[in-house]
Amino acid sequence: MTAGDVHGAAMEPSPFLIQSKKLTVWLFIVADAATFGAILFGYGYLRFGSPNWTKPFQFSPSIINAFIMTVILLTSSLTMLGGVAAAREGRRSVAVRWLGATVLLGVLFATLHLREWSTMIHDGWSLSANPMGGSVLVGATFFSITGLHLLHVICGVVAITVIAIGFGTGKLTAGHVETTGLYWHFVDLVWMFVFPLVYLLNLR
Amino acid sequence: MTTMETSSGPTFKMYVAVWMGMVVIAAVEAWMAYMHVSPGKLLATLLVLAVVEAAVALRYFMHLKYEVPLLFWTLIPGLVFAFVMMNQFWADASRMSSLRFPIP
Repeated sequence: MTAGDVHGAAMEPSPFLIQSKKLTVWLFIVADAATFGAILFGYGYLRFGSPNWTKPFQFSPSIINAFIMTVILLTSSLTMLGGVAAAREGRRSVAVRWLGATVLLGVLFATLHLREWSTMIHDGWSLSANPMGGSVLVGATFFSITGLHLLHVICGVVAITVIAIGFGTGKLTAGHVETTGLYWHFVDLVWMFVFPLVYLLNLR
Repeated sequence: MTTMETSSGPTFKMYVAVWMGMVVIAAVEAWMAYMHVSPGKLLATLLVLAVVEAAVALRYFMHLKYEVPLLFWTLIPGLVFAFVMMNQFWADASRMSSLRFPIP
């Protein structure tokens, strides 16, 4: 083996033909999907294994609010795609505007979610209390699942803000915008399971 | 750097179409929840619709359709296998205590 062969092996392209940071985000997403999968499976077993499971949600305001949150999150994925496309084309100011819209939609989602939490906590719901008299696991699973998702949304909002500033000032590349977008779409994807399983299956 | 990417991806018009499709699926889910169907059928229907939405998000929003197939085969089957294992074996975890041999 010559020195040239060793050098060639070290420079071998990725078999996935993507940047290493994008592959890293994909691996993180798979691990995070397993985490969300685990808590949703755990919720499912508790939900169907508890005979005194109460159903706290009504059409108004809970389901309307959750549906609006779903549309907001889906729309934020669309604006993120606009940001990624603009970044790939090198249109920095356009990309930053798209990313700004994504951040605003993320903040709006988090605000609606926290308002819903505030109402429920005011009504007596907590991790260990059920004001309707049934299983306390209703509140425990609801706040755990939506709380973990909300944490992801807040982290995403912070990450997109940092990336938008970095890309706008020329310190970061379109690859950074794309990998952040990948994470944001995953947060959207998780909500596609939280909305039907946590809200729609718990209608009064 | 971007020469490693395999394709430029779909148009923004296609993204809007996919977005509209996903909003419609979410609306159908909410509508289904008010239909008089058994809890088992409702759960199965909602899960199928959620999986369809997730598949669409993976393919178009996350660009998995436009990557090399090896990326899909490396990431997704293992994850699905893990979910199947959770579904098949976690339910048995509650029976573990009763499966122990009696203490002499």
